[in-house]
Amino acid sequence: MSHHMTEVKDLHYVYPDGHKAVNGISFKIHHGESVGIIGANGAGKSTLLMLLMGVLFPCQGEVLVGEVLVTKKTLPGIRQRMGMVFQDPDDQLFMTTVYDDVAFGPRNYNLEEKEVEKRVLQALEMVGILHLKDRAPFKLSGGEKRAAAIASVLSLQPDILVMDEPTSALDPKSRRRLMKLLDSFEHTKIITSHDLDMVYELCDRSIVIKDGEIAADGPTSKILVDADLMDACGLEIPLALQNCPVCGRKK
Amino acid sequence: MKTSEAGLNTTFDMRLLDDMARKETVIHRVHPLVKLVTTVIYLTVVVSFGSYEIIGLLPLLFYPVLVITLAELPIRPILKRMLLAAPFVIGIGILNPVFDHQVFVVGGLTLSRGWITFFSIVLKCILTVSAALLLIASTGMDKLASALRMLKIPRLFVLQLLLTYRYISVLMEEVTRILRAYSMRAPQQKGIHPKVWGSLTGQLILRTFERAQRVYQAMCLRGFTGEYNTGAHERITVRDTVYLVVWGLFFALARIYNIPMLIGSLLTGVV
Amino acid sequence: MHMADALISPVVGGTMWAATAGAAAYSIKKVKNEMDENKIPLMGVMGAFIFAAQMINFTIPGTGSSGHLGGGLLLAILLGPYAGFLTMAAVLTIQALFFADGGLLALGCNIFNLGFFSCFIAYPLIYKLIIAKGYTRKRIWGAGMLSAIIGLQLGAFGVVLETLLSGKTELPFGTFVALMQPIHLAIGVVEGLVVAAVVSFVWKQRPEIIEKAALGQPMGSLSIKKVLTGLAIAAVLFGGIFSWFASANPDGLEWSMFRTAGVEELEAPDGIHETLAKLQEKTAFLPDYGFKAPETASEPAAKDGEAAAEESEAWPAVSGGTSTAGIVGGVLTLAFAALIGFAVSLVKKKKPDLTA
Ligand SMILES: Nc1ncnc2c1ncn2[C@@H]1O[C@H](COP(=O)(O)OP(=O)(O)OP(=O)(O)O)[C@@H](O)[C@H]1O
Ligand SMILES: [Mg+2]
Repeated sequence: MSHHMTEVKDLHYVYPDGHKAVNGISFKIHHGESVGIIGANGAGKSTLLMLLMGVLFPCQGEVLVGEVLVTKKTLPGIRQRMGMVFQDPDDQLFMTTVYDDVAFGPRNYNLEEKEVEKRVLQALEMVGILHLKDRAPFKLSGGEKRAAAIASVLSLQPDILVMDEPTSALDPKSRRRLMKLLDSFEHTKIITSHDLDMVYELCDRSIVIKDGEIAADGPTSKILVDADLMDACGLEIPLALQNCPVCGRKK
Repeated sequence: MKTSEAGLNTTFDMRLLDDMARKETVIHRVHPLVKLVTTVIYLTVVVSFGSYEIIGLLPLLFYPVLVITLAELPIRPILKRMLLAAPFVIGIGILNPVFDHQVFVVGGLTLSRGWITFFSIVLKCILTVSAALLLIASTGMDKLASALRMLKIPRLFVLQLLLTYRYISVLMEEVTRILRAYSMRAPQQKGIHPKVWGSLTGQLILRTFERAQRVYQAMCLRGFTGEYNTGAHERITVRDTVYLVVWGLFFALARIYNIPMLIGSLLTGVV
Repeated sequence: MHMADALISPVVGGTMWAATAGAAAYSIKKVKNEMDENKIPLMGVMGAFIFAAQMINFTIPGTGSSGHLGGGLLLAILLGPYAGFLTMAAVLTIQALFFADGGLLALGCNIFNLGFFSCFIAYPLIYKLIIAKGYTRKRIWGAGMLSAIIGLQLGAFGVVLETLLSGKTELPFGTFVALMQPIHLAIGVVEGLVVAAVVSFVWKQRPEIIEKAALGQPMGSLSIKKVLTGLAIAAVLFGGIFSWFASANPDGLEWSMFRTAGVEELEAPDGIHETLAKLQEKTAFLPDYGFKAPETASEPAAKDGEAAAEESEAWPAVSGGTSTAGIVGGVLTLAFAALIGFAVSLVKKKKPDLTA
């Protein structure tokens, strides 16, 4: 399954104002893996995702998706295989109804309207908001918006799902529902988040970023429990792993 | 004068109209293009009446009355909108009785031409405003956009129109938050002080540019290349055609014959 | 200030629609040529911004006066004239549909008054001329103020002309102008101050936004001339064709009917109004629509008056008996309309009970 591999080689990115956001990052992500990318505010996580998606182009180094180099030319093909869910669903739900929004991607690839409909309904079914299909996005709750944003990406049937802070601003129930949903996907998942408990539950592997560089890369079960490492990178051990506040015993 | 309250009202009204448009009634099921064309014909007919016409316009009331009841639309919010739209028209209209003092006497009644013009304008205002609101309340923005596409209005404009519609509520919320934060720290002021006109509005613009950039990225990631593909259009059925023809005929009749006058003459025996 | 459907005639509405459609089509071509699809979401979201910004109440302390952002000029400065015009068109379309501001037939007028004048006259001919030597703080203030005021003055004059040519309201031209222009001078000053403040801020923070909009849009004198000639031809053609129709069906003759069909006229004794009437007589544009009704037109109108029963136009001119008939018929029509509405909603309300 090497054709679904995502590879990043010695990636560098400097913003136009001279700020070095990514400084030599390299990693390989295999098909079906779910990877959490964590790090303090401003560590460069969102920038890294933008580079993966070909929204930004690296100053140095390269991104390979399924052994294809990401360039302006290969972009259309690659984007069909990678779906990205934005941090703010309002940026992503730009059409007037949920249905039209989920159909936006497939229609751009000039699929038959029948096929479009099939995919839209399938995607909405998957995230459990089929009943909202004729709603206007501005009338959805935060959790429903997030689900719709995910559906709008799923309708393109990507192999790789990239998400920037999917659980931010969700109430506990919506967060739980979303995590269940994400857990059920067999896609390759790349998730950035400050919600370390979610990363702990969902991702087998974690990459810790600090100042645009990889500080650690390995199994989540090893990385997230390493108190010194987490502290050095401006993070904390997930609450679920911390000492119980009531009895002081380690769970 | 609009305040942040008005902003909430705007978003509220848009939600309300959107809710209305999602109903399933005979009127809602009529093809959006047919509804648009019917509305335009209706408006043209209303507006073509002269400035002293009142009685002849009355039969045209049937259109909004029938549409509003058949589409099961609530009357109150539509009336409210109508009142909000009225001031300019009434302002211009009220100048007629002020400037036009010519009077004539009919059947013992002394009527001022200015007042007749005024009432004619008010009646036209009621008819045209309700027709426009009923169109959107029974169709919805997305379907109306597909009607515009069928009329060969360029994709670029239709997409841009939809985006504007979509982001009104998002930006309204942003402004409401800013204004609330501002008024909390400047409770004595009625509006925004000139010192911060530039920075307050300018910040908002910069944020808007950033948001537009993100929206653009989200669109690109889903294969957007500058073309906007709407789905397949609904077909115009026989029923839709009948709807258009029947209303068209009625409007034409109302325009050519003064129907109330004919009825009245029959009843009172004056020919 | 928005033109309303209730105040315009089909001819004026149609002509302005044609002119606006021409300008919009040309703008779309221009925006497409730039091949900057990045601009489409920007135009969309900026349109929404205008809506939101109109909520902000800009007050001038001590004067009690305040204003709101109109939008056309600011959009032209930030997006360039073509994209700015299209964005303004979208904003006004949504206002007409959802808030009944203006109306669908008057939409052409409104886009022209509020979009065309600021994007294609005030922006290129005044703002850009002053800014041509490069952006400075002073020039931004001068250019912003001047072009906002002139753009709004032109727009207000557009409202006056469109209203008068429509002939649905009988205001004297001079009075109308004397009313509209000063109001819009005040509005223009506030708008200019806001635009200048905002542009200065954005220019300081992100100069590339403003300079790019100005640069990327070659507005040679040739192209604007082309637009204007194209529009003028379209307007003349449209106006010509429509007035030919209009004259075939004498619509604006009610005035003369009054004079001749035996209706008593009582001149108001008020001196001011007489002078106003005289002033208006001098300034009347279309004699058919004003006081200066031609004598010849009154002949057929007089005959019409006798046949008034079946002639809808002539109601004000009919005898006492027929006017009673009109009132009776009118009341009946109203009652019938109300009855139908009531009956339909009753049936509608019953239906769920039957099916349940
Ligand atoms: N458009 C930009 N221009 C200049 N610098 C930027 C820009 N966007 C981000 N940066 C900078 O690049 C760095 C990395 O930003 P990035 O958004 O990738 O961080 P992040 O890890 O996603 O942070 P967060 O957890 O807060 O979302 C930050 O220091 C930020 O200030
Ligand atoms: Mg981020």
